[in-house]
Amino acid sequence: MLKNSGYSLHNLYPYAATILSIALAVVLWLSKEIIGGSVALVIAAISFLSARDLTREVIKANEQKCHLDQQLIQSQKLAAIGELSAGIAHEINNPLAIMGQETEWIKHLLKDNNIEGPGATEELRDSLQEIVRQVDRCKDITHKLLDFARKKDPLMQGADVNKLIEDMARLVDKEATQKNIKIVRDYRKDLPRVQTDPPLLRQVILNLLNNAAYAIGKDGVITIVTRQSSNTSIELVFSDTGCGIPKEQLDKIFDPFFTTKPPGKGTGLGLSISHSIIVKLGGRITVASEPGKGATFTIHLPAQPSRGEQ
Amino acid sequence: MKDFRVLIVDDELDFLETIVKRLKRRKVDATGIDSGIKALELLESEHFDVVILDVRMPGMDGIETLREMKRKRPLLEVIMLTGHASVESGVQGMQYGAFDYVMKPAEIEDLLEKIRAAYERKALHEEKVREGRVI
Repeated sequence: MLKNSGYSLHNLYPYAATILSIALAVVLWLSKEIIGGSVALVIAAISFLSARDLTREVIKANEQKCHLDQQLIQSQKLAAIGELSAGIAHEINNPLAIMGQETEWIKHLLKDNNIEGPGATEELRDSLQEIVRQVDRCKDITHKLLDFARKKDPLMQGADVNKLIEDMARLVDKEATQKNIKIVRDYRKDLPRVQTDPPLLRQVILNLLNNAAYAIGKDGVITIVTRQSSNTSIELVFSDTGCGIPKEQLDKIFDPFFTTKPPGKGTGLGLSISHSIIVKLGGRITVASEPGKGATFTIHLPAQPSRGEQ
Repeated sequence: MKDFRVLIVDDELDFLETIVKRLKRRKVDATGIDSGIKALELLESEHFDVVILDVRMPGMDGIETLREMKRKRPLLEVIMLTGHASVESGVQGMQYGAFDYVMKPAEIEDLLEKIRAAYERKALHEEKVREGRVI
């Protein structure tokens, strides 16, 4: 905290005034101006005292500010951890509750010796099957969390991003057509090749396309645009005509566990994983939305500088 | 690029035979097998670099097989093969570490390009592991 005690040049002015007053007093005394000298000495004393008080005030204020800043950072951190753990707790609690019910049911079947006959065996098997399913669900959550936390270095390979996107778009095409969702492609033909981690980028693109289709539900358009935004960067734009994202949720949608889907439909990790992947790939992802009209996600990626004219 | 081995897993025998034949004609060391469980067994005794794996198979399906393969052989690259294009299985597959998706009927040139890219990735990964940068 002492690092930032607030000694700056203008805090030294009152001290300078003190020194000047003392000098004046000495000069006046030497020239036998006893009264003037005494006055100057009094002025020196006053300015010294005020200077000292002022400096103390400044130091104190600075210390308080540092303290408050730290408290703020700390409470922001705590809030983030709180939100995260609430998310995890919520996601894990549902399967735990189901597993609890199923084990109760198994206990009940066993207690009454009700396990004779094919019907009861079938019920036992069903209950166990359900427990296995819920364990898988929990595993899935922890797996994703680990994935999120683990610093997996991306493996950079040269890739044709248009082709990479088109492969994923074709995967979504059939289901989209069934829901009367059209995928419009506007790929820039001479997009430079990109050094990236192809499977990670595919994961993000598929996630965005899947979200877009989900946001539309039925009848709508997903537009994919690729373009070169500068000599060393490209943009991949995914727009949909879906329900859009309310303003107050826009800055939360990349947070882990933030989801608007009903429980069990999504873990709220898709976009946060996508976000961390794109950052790992040296890019960034942004979102814009007009509620009711749709949303646009833009991936900005570094590209190899194009070598002159093609 | 040095020689590498490809394993194709698909329960549709006609498709399997055709694709193995076509890859072999292009000097790719390809082996075919008709179930996920058999594929996992084969991986215990033989070395492969790239697997092409059908998503929809009776018994152990493609996604399950993929998870198991990545658990046993993290460096193995797996290309998923899909005829029905389910987005759900696509998202899952990419999450569990699939390298890419190929739609059936696969064009041989497209498939070859993906196999090469997958093998390139495996070689890069092995190099990194050798240098001790990634476990």
